[in-house]
Amino acid sequence: MKYFWIQLVLIVGSLSLALMFIRRWDRANTRAWKRIAFSVFVIVNVYAVLRPTDVTWFAQQLGVGRGTDLVLYVMVLGMGFLTLNTFLRFRSLEKKLTDLARTVAINEGVRSNDERLGPDAAVPASSESLKA
Amino acid sequence: MSQNDDVWLVIPAYNEGQVIADVVEGARKTFPNIVVVDDGSTDDSAQHIATTGAHLVRHPVNLGQGAALQTGLKYALAQPGATYFATFDADGQHQTADVEKMVELLRSGVADVVLGSRFIEQNGQVPWIKRVVLRTAAAVSPTARKLKLTDAHNGLRVLNREAAGRLRITMNGMAHASEIVSFLAGSDLRVAELPVDILYTEYSRAKGQSLINGVNIIFDISLRERGRR
Repeated sequence: MKYFWIQLVLIVGSLSLALMFIRRWDRANTRAWKRIAFSVFVIVNVYAVLRPTDVTWFAQQLGVGRGTDLVLYVMVLGMGFLTLNTFLRFRSLEKKLTDLARTVAINEGVRSNDERLGPDAAVPASSESLKA
Repeated sequence: MSQNDDVWLVIPAYNEGQVIADVVEGARKTFPNIVVVDDGSTDDSAQHIATTGAHLVRHPVNLGQGAALQTGLKYALAQPGATYFATFDADGQHQTADVEKMVELLRSGVADVVLGSRFIEQNGQVPWIKRVVLRTAAAVSPTARKLKLTDAHNGLRVLNREAAGRLRITMNGMAHASEIVSFLAGSDLRVAELPVDILYTEYSRAKGQSLINGVNIIFDISLRERGRR
């Protein structure tokens, strides 16, 4: 039972990572939570720098030997969140870029194909299909 | 002009300047309506395509073959009289005779989508290592099994208007082939397979997909449902 608390913390952290992966993670309230987490992170940082022995004390309460180890564990979790967040953000950006590039390509294509192949050669995609 | 006025060939091209004009002009003998999507090529593909009678749509940046197919389909869907849509490779490995067979099948009304297969008739053209990997891919893919497909990654497909209009390719890269198969499996569209001959030329071998890229495809597919909004 020595490691119970740290195990709980790490498992809950990993599970919430998995949850974040599956669920949508771009709503306003989750964004707010991310910001709160960041603020807490900064405050804890400052505190840990000022009173390093407290970190060791806290680590021991959780069943971890040294404060450094606790910081390492938390960092691994933090890295996971960061990676995932970046991945999801890139994906959404990629989708937007694709939609944008497609619209530009088709508009431009209709214009230049009309010039090249004669008028009425190409018909613009309707506004409805442009949204697709 | 031709009995194939209602067919549109969609050809995604990325750095195919060497061969694209010949491939397009060759295909235009049978199919007058062609849209080539230049996927942000860095070579002179666009100039070569401009010398042909095909429609040219240029992605301002390189997005990937899946994105190019979706763009081409969207463009073709807007053209008057377009009823059948064929996806066709730019490297000259597909043959218009096969497309004609596939379109005939659609015209007869027995299917909504016809996929080309390299394996229905053994033609000995496919390099054996590729054959093993592709057959395994078709055998282990649950969606391909459901449709009883023998070849899940063939670039030659013909869709009717309903199928093309419903298809939404979101995988920009090479994973779109699996995405299309899983879309078909999840829809009520009738899917058929026809044997096609693939010309493995030196050029298409060099340009074609390496098998190691299969790892990328598996990865992309496994992440497909994630992070979607």
